[in-house]
Amino acid sequence: MDKRDAESVKQAIGCPMSRRKFLRCLAAAGALAAMPGGLLRSFDAKAGKIIYEGDYEIYRNACPRNCYDTCSIKSYVKDGVLQFIEGAKESTFTDGGLCVKGYAYTRRPYSPDRIKYPMIQDGRGSGNWRRISWDEAMDMIAKKLVEINDKDDSMLGLGLTKYSGNFGITNYAVEGMMTSLGYTTRLVGTPCWPAGIDAQNYDLGDMWCNDPEDMVNSRYIILWGANPAWNSVHTMKYIYAAQDRGAKVVCIDPVFTQTAAKADVYWQVDTSMDGALALGMARHILDKGLFDKAWVEENSVGFNEFADYLRNEITVQWASEKSGIPQQQIVEVAEEFAAAKPATIWIGYGLQRHVNGGATVRSIDALAAMTGNVGKTGGGARYGHMRTWGFNYHALLQKRPEGAKGFLGGKGPKGDFDFSGDEEAEYTDRALNINKTAEMLLTADDPPIRVLWISCKNVLSQDFDRPRMLEAFKKPELIVSVEQFFTQTVELSDIVLPVTTLFEESTINASYWHYWLSVNEQGIKPMYEAKSNTEIAAALSARMNKLKPGSCTFPTEVDTRQWMIKEFNQDIYDLFGIDSWQDLKKGPAKAKMHPASWHDLEFGTPSKKYEFRSDLCAQHGHQALPKFKAARKPYDKLRLLTPHTKFGIHSQFINIDWMEEFNKKPYCYLHPTAASERGITDGDQVRVFNKVGEVELEVKLTQNVPADVVMMYEAWFRNNAYNCQNVVDDTSSDMGKYKTGAPGVAIHDQFADVEKV
Amino acid sequence: MNPDPITNPLGPALRDFFISADASGHKRAYLQISEALQNPLPRVNDWRQVEYAFTRLFVGPKSLEAPPFASVYLETEPLVMGPTTMMVRSVYEMMGLVSPWKNALPEDHVSLELDAALVMENAAQQGGSAELDELRQFFVCRHMAAWIPAFVKRVSQAESAHPAIVRAAKLAGQWVDDQAVLINAQRNQHLKQGGWNG
Repeated sequence: MDKRDAESVKQAIGCPMSRRKFLRCLAAAGALAAMPGGLLRSFDAKAGKIIYEGDYEIYRNACPRNCYDTCSIKSYVKDGVLQFIEGAKESTFTDGGLCVKGYAYTRRPYSPDRIKYPMIQDGRGSGNWRRISWDEAMDMIAKKLVEINDKDDSMLGLGLTKYSGNFGITNYAVEGMMTSLGYTTRLVGTPCWPAGIDAQNYDLGDMWCNDPEDMVNSRYIILWGANPAWNSVHTMKYIYAAQDRGAKVVCIDPVFTQTAAKADVYWQVDTSMDGALALGMARHILDKGLFDKAWVEENSVGFNEFADYLRNEITVQWASEKSGIPQQQIVEVAEEFAAAKPATIWIGYGLQRHVNGGATVRSIDALAAMTGNVGKTGGGARYGHMRTWGFNYHALLQKRPEGAKGFLGGKGPKGDFDFSGDEEAEYTDRALNINKTAEMLLTADDPPIRVLWISCKNVLSQDFDRPRMLEAFKKPELIVSVEQFFTQTVELSDIVLPVTTLFEESTINASYWHYWLSVNEQGIKPMYEAKSNTEIAAALSARMNKLKPGSCTFPTEVDTRQWMIKEFNQDIYDLFGIDSWQDLKKGPAKAKMHPASWHDLEFGTPSKKYEFRSDLCAQHGHQALPKFKAARKPYDKLRLLTPHTKFGIHSQFINIDWMEEFNKKPYCYLHPTAASERGITDGDQVRVFNKVGEVELEVKLTQNVPADVVMMYEAWFRNNAYNCQNVVDDTSSDMGKYKTGAPGVAIHDQFADVEKV
Repeated sequence: MNPDPITNPLGPALRDFFISADASGHKRAYLQISEALQNPLPRVNDWRQVEYAFTRLFVGPKSLEAPPFASVYLETEPLVMGPTTMMVRSVYEMMGLVSPWKNALPEDHVSLELDAALVMENAAQQGGSAELDELRQFFVCRHMAAWIPAFVKRVSQAESAHPAIVRAAKLAGQWVDDQAVLINAQRNQHLKQGGWNG
């Protein structure tokens, strides 16, 4: 383009036609009437008013991504177009701010790369896509569902994989849609935090963390495997405030993170040896008599057995050898932690993504409990909570069609966010382990997964053993993805359906970390032909019932705003101190809960006490005491870590232009010592390989990672085939089945080697 | 010499081509384009291949090879519904027109802009006005002429460029050029005649 031309248009854009000219032109509208066959229409009242100046329309939103912060958002709309967003000031947690990803939100609805229409791919993976209408898409899917139901005499051939891509509560319509079709197959469990959830349930009777805003009251903070400077930016201000008030902050992480840089003490622990470290600290506290005798006597069971175990089998020297942390430092921090009142530990999710992850969390819980820090403001073993999630789950709880048949004998939870309650029916859905999706798709039989429905999830970027997943994705007869962007999962789908962004749908969001509740209002029309998950379910139901009356119970007409309203109940209003959901239009509300979890010391365990010895844990095949559990045996020369990137939430946001500006392509990170042993220099193109597969990318040398580690971030890039799951297998972590339906996965118990290409 | 703007179906056919949803739409518009030209376009044997290429270039679901929106070529950041889209919306509104897909499809989509240019041409043929002349001068000669050539270039150089689509894109570029020449000629004529009286 000629530079002068571009400049002149730019000027015109900066100074649009004046209102006076607009009115004069309108007078000539008769002469300007649209021509037959044309696209543009005469402007009439139905088209809405023209807004040239004046105030913005303001809407309330909440970030529905899988993030600690679940930011409360205010969005500003003009003439139906989202202009900008900001953090809601009413939430003291968000406090008017968002993260760098959040500020980039306007880029999601308006990216030219957005998936715009239902599309079908002629030949899975061929790249030969055609645009189809919603009617055509629903017709194809519905016909296939009727066909498999006729063939199998059940809907078990329909499989759903869905996880954390959109936590808006009305998105449970996806599960509701499955239920309304009959008994189906569900990929259940969670790759995220299951081992830790089970651990906290054994110890405390639930996963329940203190209000993060209460961290300001802590006199000593251990950030154990958590990197809030990247992953919970709003919590950092409470950590800083505590530091300003004299609290010491210790960061324990195999990687020197941005959070580590802000801490007073940093321990580069040997990966997966966190449990040994916690037990070494516990032994020293025990030896010095610094544990809270009164607290453990009054509020716990099994402490004496735990103490015996520590005395007989644990030493500080052993813990030091295992963890790589010098004995003197273990002793010092243990003494300081035990002496400080209150002291708290933030247990990150990464440290439980190991074959000994649940045992590790139990050891750390024990450290907080034996020092009497559980149930206190400024204290606590903080992991997460779901105490503010008491919605009606109207979208989820649909009826099965009459006469539907399903799986015999299946019981138990269907995931960490399952709210369907105990099911006492002849049939159930068939539950398969989401963390072994590739294996499950390949081996499920009688019937096999004939149709795979994917929503709120990027399976090919996030699930493990990708080489095997590529094989598994050849098996289903039909794969349907519901997405906003073209991911590696869409690439291997037959049909993709465009789904709304948070600005284009009505829903409600709670956090698994802080105590705030936010309504998410629809402020703009869906772009192109996007529909919400609720509307998609309704459209499918309409087509199903047309083809075969009674085959789907999901309502065929939905008003998403009404469905959002249906999620509220009096308990929610009481908990948040509001009279109606409409109060949330004025701003988010905070639960009227005590800032300290377990403040009444009424634990949810069978004994109603804190259980150092959990018989339930033993019944489930684990150790009754929070004993050390060995790590996974290395299967290659270097440990491979694939943590979160700063520029995304799992596979989301990395494709957004503002993120690409800072994070154009993936790198792997290697310690200079490991690099020199391999003749690798900074900026070299390298191959990271192991028994699972390989990844080729550029290397950056850094002392932030240990010498025995190769690190790369989990990510999905728009125009790059990078995928860290090529080198991550699906080995299970120890715990997770009790509360989430399937064990977690040992994401960080992976090993690989690196060579220069 | 420019073809008669009222009776020549090239502009409408080009407009319809770039907004067609499927192979049958592409084919219909392509045949209309061909009919409008003195030298017919080459025959296309497999319209399905045109459709696949069309979606890769302009629709998705993958990253678009040649986004059909002015914003992408005129703004520093690749985003729609920003200043360029709103400017184009305001131009339509000045004419008393609105997109049937307001707030669902950006107004600066190439087909909507071609449609607006056709409406302006039609109005000018029916008498026009000084305001319309000014608006048309700005919209076609400055705005469209500023981005359509870049769009045509991107289509031509795209990995998925199909000869039929490249041909249509080049014709669209030529059509805008011809319009600009016509508009400037008419403007000079009016100025010579002492301007507008309305």
